[in-house]
Amino acid sequence: MIIAHDLHKSFKTRAGVVQAVSGVGFEARDGQITGLLGPNGAGKTTTLRMLYTLMQPDSGHIEVDGIDPARDPMAVRRALGVLPDARGVYKRLTARENIAYFARLHGLSTSVAAERIARLSAALDMDEILDRQTEGFSQGQRTKTAIARALVHDPRNVILDEPTNGLDVMTTRAMRQFLFRLRDEGRCVILSSHIMQEVAALCDRIVIIARGQVVASGSAEELRAQTGESSLEDAFVKVIGSGEGLQA
Amino acid sequence: MNALATLWIVMCKELRDIARDRRTLALTLLLGPLLLPAIILGMGAMAEKKARTQIKKELEVPTIGVERAPNLVAFLATQGIRAVPAPEDLDQAIRDQQVEVGMHISGNFAEDWRAGRPALVEVVVDTTQRDSSIPQARLQGALRAYGSQVGTLRLLARGVDASVVQAISPGVRDVATAEAKRGRVLAVILPYFLILTAFLGGAALMLDATAGERERQSLEPLLATPAARGAIVSGKIAAACVLGLVTLLLSLLAIKLSSQIATGVARQMDVSMLSIARMLFVLLPMLLIGTSLLTLLAASAKSLKEAQSHMTWLMLLPMVPSMMLMVNPVKTQLWQFAVPFLGQNQMLLRVIRGEQVSLQEWGVYLGCSLGLALVLWVAAVMRYRQEKLAIST
Repeated sequence: MIIAHDLHKSFKTRAGVVQAVSGVGFEARDGQITGLLGPNGAGKTTTLRMLYTLMQPDSGHIEVDGIDPARDPMAVRRALGVLPDARGVYKRLTARENIAYFARLHGLSTSVAAERIARLSAALDMDEILDRQTEGFSQGQRTKTAIARALVHDPRNVILDEPTNGLDVMTTRAMRQFLFRLRDEGRCVILSSHIMQEVAALCDRIVIIARGQVVASGSAEELRAQTGESSLEDAFVKVIGSGEGLQA
Repeated sequence: MNALATLWIVMCKELRDIARDRRTLALTLLLGPLLLPAIILGMGAMAEKKARTQIKKELEVPTIGVERAPNLVAFLATQGIRAVPAPEDLDQAIRDQQVEVGMHISGNFAEDWRAGRPALVEVVVDTTQRDSSIPQARLQGALRAYGSQVGTLRLLARGVDASVVQAISPGVRDVATAEAKRGRVLAVILPYFLILTAFLGGAALMLDATAGERERQSLEPLLATPAARGAIVSGKIAAACVLGLVTLLLSLLAIKLSSQIATGVARQMDVSMLSIARMLFVLLPMLLIGTSLLTLLAASAKSLKEAQSHMTWLMLLPMVPSMMLMVNPVKTQLWQFAVPFLGQNQMLLRVIRGEQVSLQEWGVYLGCSLGLALVLWVAAVMRYRQEKLAIST
């Protein structure tokens, strides 16, 4: 369960202060997939980074299973599995070693780590690449490794930044099945995307973010009802104000 | 999870990572150990060759008009200089470097001699040829000696004490042996190499593990784990230190081996296992200073390339105190042990020469260098705690 209350975040750049997030709040429940939808640059990644403790909000607060990251970031990190926007893997290590490194950093024993890796590898269908050095991995293989690495400590909450970015159709389909499985296991899953179809197909709840603010949220049905549009796509465009930066 | 366990995990991972990069590893580990013996042995061989020329080996001087001054030729022979008839074109032979130095006794030599006028003897030499300077000096010296000897006799024959024309008697006595001079060069180069190895021995790993990791976008997921930032940085620093230490150990063993093969002063260098251990101990703070500084610089750099460009001035840094000492030599004083690089330099020289280091000097040295290492380490950890660092794009 992850709750965000009225998050604000600004950055100082050479061009001046950029208000990346100005009032994002939502609730992501266990056993549901919550999707943050918005055009590029809407503040999705910054919001997620605040959720997974890499950034501190200027104002507003967060609860992850009732814990405030500002107060106990370590406990929150343990409760979270994170697939960040940056999904670099160590290319001279094998996929297994990459995952095992993170398992060890989470404090897992070698035997528990081995057992988890075997399970995740089966679920993500990556047995073949598990003992290959990740140098030369395809985008999909890298993403699988990064997801296995993020979930190796069996977290209750999972945050994925554009999980299907750069994946081919087959891998995307497999990825969706995997996300449903995480949901059905009762986890709280948050993902961000700028692809309407994906959010529509995957998410139980949708939070639409534009220009650093939540402009609408609810299930697909609710969004359609709110906007009075019959198609979800039209509903999105209506609340965001334009279809620019979004992908059907 | 406790910080030490994290440190250990990170260190093992970084070492395994670099171990897979065979070429970088080989360059890091072997460059120093191969270069140092080459320098020690090479300089030894060169110095010895030079010394052999300087010993009074008979010098053969092709001479034009060798028959015109038999007494001069006989005198030169007593100085180990043998005048032989010149080849047809002496100037060309010298230019072609077939002859180091030649002599030309003028046609009027006998006439001028008898008349008591200065008789012309030319030394023929190509001054752009560095090798000729020593034979030229020998020949000129011998000619000057002969000239003043005969001049003295002439004055005496006229009833004048020859010393009246010699107002002062300048002379130079160089008490340094050729070996000591070579030792001086070694004393500059060896500590520099060792300090440089300690300072930047782990650079390849460090740059890759900080700026490289950021550039390859694996830092953000790493920092999202519950592992303590301080422990992550320390693990990386520890891995670089291990690598640097192994490089140093290999270098010192290479020095030991080459000083056993070499002759002269290199042999006098105390390189027992005990002093190797001592040198490693002396250089330990330098390893920490170097890797912490690199972490700080690399973590502040925008890219791996920017981080690598720091290497140029970092490589010159350890040279500064040695150069200052060369230009402005001062006696060893206590404050010098507090200055980074200079302190290491003085400590290493002590150990290399087998001299005692007082307790006070140890105290000042370890206190200051470990203090600096600590400050840099804290700065590196703080850098890793900043939220800006984690964001790679």
